[in-house]
Amino acid sequence: MIRLSGRLRSALIIGGQGMRARKLRTFLSILSLFLGVLAVVVVQAGAETARAAALSNVELSMGKDGTLETFLPGGSKTIEIALDTVKDRPNVVLSLDMQATVGEPGVTTLNPGGAPFEHAGRGGGPPAGIICDFQGCWEDPNAAARPKPQGKAVEMRVMAMSADVRQFREFRLISGEWLNFSGSPGLSPRIVLNKDAAKFFSTYQIPAEMQISGATANLTPRIVGVVDDGMMEPRAYLRMDELFNWLQPGALANASAQMLLAPEAADVMQILKTRLVAAGDKHAEGLNAHPVQSAEMVEDQLSLLRWVFLGMAGLVLLIGVAGILNVGLATVGERIEEFALRRAVGTPRTLLAGIVLAETLLTGLLTAAAAIGCAALGLRFARGFLAGQSASLADISFPWQAGVAGIIAGLIAGLLGGLIPAIRAARIPIATVMRA
Amino acid sequence: MTPLIQLTGVTKILKGQKTPRTILDGVDLTVHSGEGVAVLGRSGSGKSTLLSLVGLFDRADDGQYLLGERDITRLPERKAAALRSAEFGFVFQRFFLLKHLTAAQNVAMALVNGQGWLPRRKRRAKVLSALDRVGVAHLAKHKPPKLSGGEQQRVAIARALVREPKMLLADEPTGALDTETGNLVIDVLHSATKDGCGLVLVTHDWEHASRMERVLRLEDGQLREVAV
Repeated sequence: MIRLSGRLRSALIIGGQGMRARKLRTFLSILSLFLGVLAVVVVQAGAETARAAALSNVELSMGKDGTLETFLPGGSKTIEIALDTVKDRPNVVLSLDMQATVGEPGVTTLNPGGAPFEHAGRGGGPPAGIICDFQGCWEDPNAAARPKPQGKAVEMRVMAMSADVRQFREFRLISGEWLNFSGSPGLSPRIVLNKDAAKFFSTYQIPAEMQISGATANLTPRIVGVVDDGMMEPRAYLRMDELFNWLQPGALANASAQMLLAPEAADVMQILKTRLVAAGDKHAEGLNAHPVQSAEMVEDQLSLLRWVFLGMAGLVLLIGVAGILNVGLATVGERIEEFALRRAVGTPRTLLAGIVLAETLLTGLLTAAAAIGCAALGLRFARGFLAGQSASLADISFPWQAGVAGIIAGLIAGLLGGLIPAIRAARIPIATVMRA
Repeated sequence: MTPLIQLTGVTKILKGQKTPRTILDGVDLTVHSGEGVAVLGRSGSGKSTLLSLVGLFDRADDGQYLLGERDITRLPERKAAALRSAEFGFVFQRFFLLKHLTAAQNVAMALVNGQGWLPRRKRRAKVLSALDRVGVAHLAKHKPPKLSGGEQQRVAIARALVREPKMLLADEPTGALDTETGNLVIDVLHSATKDGCGLVLVTHDWEHASRMERVLRLEDGQLREVAV
């Protein structure tokens, strides 16, 4: 147990007595500070909530902050070596990104080029015959062979994964279930659609037939769930081993490969690089994994806004400080005899200053407690409303940083508001007062 | 016998006016253990100033001040505060009790002053003992506005006595009381000298002064002994 010094105890006891004796003044001081401290708490809570929501959205598409990411050069050999390297490493995910069409074969799709649902049929996506993914855009070598008649088919990017990618990108399940990576691969690949792809399926009667270039035959996928992956265009996710039941090894040459690694699995990168170089891949020399900097990106976006609002809250707080200073000076003037008497009975000047500061600091703390309570209550009421606006806000809780900011704001306000009255109290001359 | 306090050639000049005024001009004052000393004098003669110097509220411009054998003429404020707490007890004409505190809390004020720390139980025992010594222990939980003048002054005396000081300094303690109550208060103060405490009583009242062991008159900045 922390043993408080005699002076600190004395300051707290006498300060507490003073506050109890002047309840109305204490209340008025709290009132004058309340808005300022509340503003600081609300700005901090808002900033933290917005940061959490923005980070959650960014991490959906980019990956968790600190995740290592690398893109592998194409080639079936490269992917085979990569697959072998990441085997039995649950904290590494190798994913192949391919263009696929689901629906009627031999038709012009509802969204040529893989355009989002909103732009389907209106030329919103890349031009026909152009494929775009996270490595860039290029001409589809099979574009010339594409049939012309309009049909019920959707073009989408398909991501085949060696392990569960949700450890890096926390997709929000909307319906159904996520892929199960533990069992044996099925012949009929299970796929999970993203929200945009699901819109096509809920709007049109699209047959479950999937065409992937290089596959030995068209696949009949089973749609098992829908997720929010933070992407705007239609996408589907499936197990890589289920895809390989249908894909010729040579077809891997055109697939884009991405690898996501947990920071502690950085050694995999070195092993892979060595193996690829040994296999004669010249491009592998420059292969590096870069950390995903989601938090930094979000921070950059929000920090200016946060400081502007904190500056405004600081101004409101300053007005509160002026109020507590005013009350403090008036109180010291009124208590001049008390302070002189306390000095007469041996109270040191520092303790007198401490008594006044203890009162204003306790006032600041009480104000902070009230402001934090109000903000937490407000957030609880707002949560129901916010949950409907954005999925990332559904499970927000009162951020501890806002509580700390409130306590610091209360203490600083108490210190600033009490400093001058404390100095005045310490300077009261005993002889003049006691003789009067 | 070593005196409790000994002031020698103490001078105090009031500055801050057009012409500085010498209030005390080479005053000598000695108080022994168990001795009551009354100081008489006209208003403005410097009685309270003398008490301020003795009680370390203020500093002399010249002269020497010994507490026992220790020279405390030029004591820094921090040490002066510690001495005020440990060695001196003060009683004032206007009682100076805090209205928002009970009688017991007013007495405890002298114990909760940052000069050491007493646990609550010990503090309470000391406070009740001091209140009992002046005959108002039954009023411990009463607040000053509910007490008569005499009771308030006795609570103030209990506050002065609670740390068992060596010197009791009383500045016109009966000034706001009727004669009968005033006599009771002087009795209480004088009884403290039986335990070896020194007492300096500043008063206008000859009758009260004459009950002390020695009576001094302050006139023209000089202290002169008066025959009782």
